[in-house]
Amino acid sequence: MAPSVPPTAERVRDQAADGDLRASADAPMLVASDVHRHFEGMHAVDGVSIEILPGRITGLIGPNGAGKSTFLAVLAGTLPATAGTIIFMGHDITRMPAYKRARLGLVRTFQLPSEFARLTVLENLLVAAPHHRGESLYGALLGKRYWGKDEERLVAEARGLLDRFGMTPKESDYAGDMSGGQKRLIEIMRALMLHPRLLLLDEPMSGVHPSIVGEIASYLEALRDEGLTICMVEHELHMVDRLCDPVVVMAQGRVIGRGTMAALRQQREVVDAYLVG
Amino acid sequence: MSYYITTILIYAGVDIIACLALNLQFGLSGIVNFSFIVFQAAGAYTAAVLSMPPSSQIGGEQIYVLGNNLGFPLPWIGAALVGGVLSVPVGLVVLRRLRSDYQAIAMLVLSVIATTVITNARPFLNGAAGLSLIPPPLSERLNPYSNEYAYLYVGITFACLLLVLFVSYRIANSPFGRTLRALREHELAATALGKNPVALKMTIFIVGGVIAGLSGGILVGFIGTWAPSVWLYPETIILFAAVIVGGRGNNLGAILGALLVPVGFEEATRFIPNIGPVGLIPALQWVVIGFLIIGFLWFRPRGVLPEPRHTFRGGPAEETHWVQSGRGA
Repeated sequence: MAPSVPPTAERVRDQAADGDLRASADAPMLVASDVHRHFEGMHAVDGVSIEILPGRITGLIGPNGAGKSTFLAVLAGTLPATAGTIIFMGHDITRMPAYKRARLGLVRTFQLPSEFARLTVLENLLVAAPHHRGESLYGALLGKRYWGKDEERLVAEARGLLDRFGMTPKESDYAGDMSGGQKRLIEIMRALMLHPRLLLLDEPMSGVHPSIVGEIASYLEALRDEGLTICMVEHELHMVDRLCDPVVVMAQGRVIGRGTMAALRQQREVVDAYLVG
Repeated sequence: MSYYITTILIYAGVDIIACLALNLQFGLSGIVNFSFIVFQAAGAYTAAVLSMPPSSQIGGEQIYVLGNNLGFPLPWIGAALVGGVLSVPVGLVVLRRLRSDYQAIAMLVLSVIATTVITNARPFLNGAAGLSLIPPPLSERLNPYSNEYAYLYVGITFACLLLVLFVSYRIANSPFGRTLRALREHELAATALGKNPVALKMTIFIVGGVIAGLSGGILVGFIGTWAPSVWLYPETIILFAAVIVGGRGNNLGAILGALLVPVGFEEATRFIPNIGPVGLIPALQWVVIGFLIIGFLWFRPRGVLPEPRHTFRGGPAEETHWVQSGRGA
């Protein structure tokens, strides 16, 4: 089965220009068209086009070296695209720096733990909060009277997340002292502090004790059910089976299949390249 | 004895101010500014030429630019401003595109280049001979050789120190400081959370430059002379040693480090009798400073007073407690 029709960035951009993108629940939240990322002649991402639909968890799978994490980094802006177009919520973000994409609501986590090790768990969450009056030099010099209210509100919000993810007792511990699974949860909670529109997760189950994998999956399901859109690179296929619809399969920098896991298992090219490889 | 004590106090004040500035850049934000001394020197030269008369009026013995004859506190304000202004081009070149280890190398090279240029460009700041006969602040109204003047200078120095301490504390204990610490820990992750790393690093780099410039202004007003030989790049290493020994990321640590290394260590070794060939003791001082840095990085990487853990009211551990040593680097 051939991959489904590639998305057209022009169509989505036109919709956005007409003002009907945000109104449509079915319109793709993100459209990447013919995205390339080359490293001195090596084509890590070679013409990838995908649509990410709102309110779903889109899975990105493929063998090692397929270019999944690189593609995720290109979407988040932590790596620039060599060519192609990325439209997010009607904005052309192809040349936008990563920090501006995050402020638009496109937030990523990393394959390797990326906690702020010498900050406490609660501080890790607070750092992520946007629009804090004390986060400028001016605000800092004016002192707590100026930014204290923002801090109180955000501490309460962060504690709500810690409570939800069962991390309240760890609030004052250094994030660097946490286990692999707890670090993953910190990254997810940290991203949630930004109120993201689209969450890009790079192997959220990797390096996590098997007993916590199911717990993380339940959290992700709950977030999806609340309307959060997620795109997830993952190797644990049973988790992809459980969480992701649709699933995009990459190999050698290209998309070789997309659909449900059940449908993908019927595609010989996908099975040969990845599922039994 | 009184002169000795006031001299030590002023040196201590200047070193503490410099260490607080370096702690903001290096301890809090992770910017390895190996050219720190250049910003202090820029402040010192600025304060000198702003307070000196035009070079034509002193018989051409010294050649330098400006010579504005300005009264206190304008030379010190100028020193701080120039320290900050100089940080802008340096920061834009070094902090924008280079990885942190390359930043450190670029800063070190900048320090060497700056010394070489100032040494050889004599018409600018009198070259290798440097500037001397720099008028002490308020010398037109007070006798700069009196005990009262020395105590006044100590007082003004410590007033500046309190101001710098206030700024350092406000920054370190604010959400701004928290974001800088996050940037220090994992810059890419902070960027992916919507933080603009260049803007943040530039801001704290300029703040550090302003404070460094001020420290240079205070120092030159007291010693009355300034030349390339007093701001060679190893002077920066001494300040780094102080911050590492005291405890990076902690203002109190920076103060303690300044008292232990540039003040305490250098003063203590001054009284060692001359043994061996000429220059042996100063050379051994450098060896000991090197071992001090390596020893602390190896055995106590967070210093004598580690960065405090920031906790919040109503949480499981309300009090701010000190990190115990040995809980990872």
